[in-house]
Amino acid sequence: MGLLRKMRAAPLEARMQEELRSRRQAAEKDPFGFAAFSAADAEMTGVSDYSYWGSTLRAFMKNRVAVALLSVLAALLLFTVIQPLLPNQYPANQIINHPTTGVQMSNVAPSFTTAKVSVPAGTELIITPWEDARWTAVSNVLTGIKARAEFTVLQYGADYCRVDLDGQTGYVKNDFSTKLKLPEEPEKTPYASRSNFAIKLYSAPGDYTNNGDPLFVPTEYLNIDGERAVTNRACDLRILPSSAPFLFGTNNLGQDLWALVWRGTRTSLFIGFTVAVIEALIGILVGVLWGYVRRLDRLLTAVYNVVDNIPTTIVLILIAYVMRPGISTLIFAMCLTGWVGMARFIRNQIIIIRDREYNMASRSLGTSTVRIILRNLLPYLVSVIMLRMALAVPGAIGSEVFITYIGLGLPVSIPSLGNLINAGRKLISTSQSYQLVFPTIVLSIITISFYMIGNAFADAADPKNHL
Amino acid sequence: MVKYVLKRLLSAVVTLIVILTVVFVLVRQMPIEGYFDNFDKLDQNMISARLHQLGLTDPLHVQLFRFYGQLLRGDLGASARYRVGAPISEIIAQKAPLSIQMGVMAMALAMALGIPLGAAMARSKSKFWDKFGTVFIVFVNAVPAAVYYIYLQSYGSSLLGTSMLFSRDDWRTWILPVFSMSLGNIAYYAMWLRRYMVDELNKDYVKLAKAKGLSERAITMRHVFRNAFVPMIQYIPTSLMFTVCGSIYIESLYSVPGMGGLLVDVISRQDNPMVQAIVMIYSCVGIIGLLLGDLLMVVIDPRITFAKKEDVR
Repeated sequence: MGLLRKMRAAPLEARMQEELRSRRQAAEKDPFGFAAFSAADAEMTGVSDYSYWGSTLRAFMKNRVAVALLSVLAALLLFTVIQPLLPNQYPANQIINHPTTGVQMSNVAPSFTTAKVSVPAGTELIITPWEDARWTAVSNVLTGIKARAEFTVLQYGADYCRVDLDGQTGYVKNDFSTKLKLPEEPEKTPYASRSNFAIKLYSAPGDYTNNGDPLFVPTEYLNIDGERAVTNRACDLRILPSSAPFLFGTNNLGQDLWALVWRGTRTSLFIGFTVAVIEALIGILVGVLWGYVRRLDRLLTAVYNVVDNIPTTIVLILIAYVMRPGISTLIFAMCLTGWVGMARFIRNQIIIIRDREYNMASRSLGTSTVRIILRNLLPYLVSVIMLRMALAVPGAIGSEVFITYIGLGLPVSIPSLGNLINAGRKLISTSQSYQLVFPTIVLSIITISFYMIGNAFADAADPKNHL
Repeated sequence: MVKYVLKRLLSAVVTLIVILTVVFVLVRQMPIEGYFDNFDKLDQNMISARLHQLGLTDPLHVQLFRFYGQLLRGDLGASARYRVGAPISEIIAQKAPLSIQMGVMAMALAMALGIPLGAAMARSKSKFWDKFGTVFIVFVNAVPAAVYYIYLQSYGSSLLGTSMLFSRDDWRTWILPVFSMSLGNIAYYAMWLRRYMVDELNKDYVKLAKAKGLSERAITMRHVFRNAFVPMIQYIPTSLMFTVCGSIYIESLYSVPGMGGLLVDVISRQDNPMVQAIVMIYSCVGIIGLLLGDLLMVVIDPRITFAKKEDVR
């Protein structure tokens, strides 16, 4: 809009400059001559390239922080939508079990890859029986060593010792977890040794397992010979027969937190947007009726006084307690009181502007009430309506977190940011605190962005700041 | 003015009756398990006998009238699951004083910190305190309280070297719950006081005072601050509400044996009579808070008149 006007205004300005120059020249020639009156020139002074939305946009763009947050938020929203369509994603809520042992992959730390160790070509591995054509389950565990079983140390190493166990040579780990019984001078081999724990005998000085579970490698990377295999190229041994990583780790049930967080973000944003839209619709409708229809004023004011007096949180708790927990319950409970603020604001504004001269003129000319409301009144209020909607989103997300904490939120089968934060809450001072940190970061980015953008937009939409 | 006060009182009473009725009717819709502590072990006859004994088989309006009768005698009914058979008013009488004490401390702390912060922000426009305060306000307003309370509890308690949970005898364990409860209000007071003070600073009398040669400090503290403080009164009921709602979360987070923790507790145990009673009490606190705020405004600002405002329209 602003661009269009500028295009129209630009030649005008040039013409004005031209006109001024010619007048100056005329004045130099004849300083006391009369200036001619031209109706077209007089018209020109009335031209302004001011456009409300153009100026709002310009004022908004000046606020660097808000623009940066807007781009972050837009990227985040876009990503939230397309995340399930990307390759290498685990479905949210799916419990991921280890394929050979069947144990849940719980509390896997966040990582960019599923690779556990990289091995060179020619590494000998032992195959664990498991059916899959593309992947093979491997480890380098020759055999388990019982607690306090004796073996002979052939060669000492700070990390791994080469040992002989009943004629089978291999390596055992030498650290706090095995606590090998070693003599004063451990380098002087051979000698008998043992561990007080059950430990493992590895085929190489390295642990090619995931805490004892086998690792996975694509079958084509192996030259298989019975139970043994040799790698035919340098490759990664992975904790799962998949290259999809757990970017945010997994929770204690073995669900992928990355998938859960984005699914939760979708749920929370859905609640937030729905609440904002419903609140705006009800608020505008009631506000317009309240402000415009005089007969309804007394009734709606009485209703307002009652509803406004009830603490919002209490309504939320009560409705969530009485109704079955679910997304629709939460939305209903939040909307039940949320429209009040919007309705009152709209009503006050409408009372102020509805009897202004231009509206009286419009009414006298026979404009229908609906048209007056839609075309004459509401455009004044768009900026504030948008501000209120922008602030309703973080408000709704916060309420969801709160109500989940009280125990009235969504069931765990519907991941939401509130659910995830509530689950991660107990782990804050443990090594699994990432299960709280990731949902918190996403939530904070969303709420802070909405809040800042809403306020920056309200500032920008105020004509006082359009100078 | 008397007329206004009476009218305001009347509207508060009407609101109260509406809310109590709605809460009562809504809680009647709950499953009947919430009235028994051993529902699974009972057979059908025992259940209906107990329901009859509690009067829950009567028509709704009969129950409602009986409820109001009990209420006027100060009887809130008996707990069904939380502490079986104990009168709710007694349980609450044990729990409420601690909550009130904490709430008052939190509100006092919020004023003691929020008002100087707001004044400092207005005085140092776009310098350190203004920037610090703005970041603080945005953070507290935008990030859900539930989230930063968790971090505050965990890191705060290790910083102070105290237990994560509240214990009445150790004064150091009071610090974090009270501070957390006041955070929202600190931001709220600071935000509004700054706004009002900046508005006042642009007025003509400030220019006059400057021309007269008064020091910057005297102008802001003696003139601007006083004028800006009057409209702040209207935020007291809202901040009371903030404190009350914050206490629900904080008390259960720190295991404070107060009303807020009690509410979370009885909700998880589905104790219908208790939930009903506590929700009603909280609604009353909210209504009384708003009423007090309105009356306080009348007392403080004599410019408020109570002529019928019909002619404005």
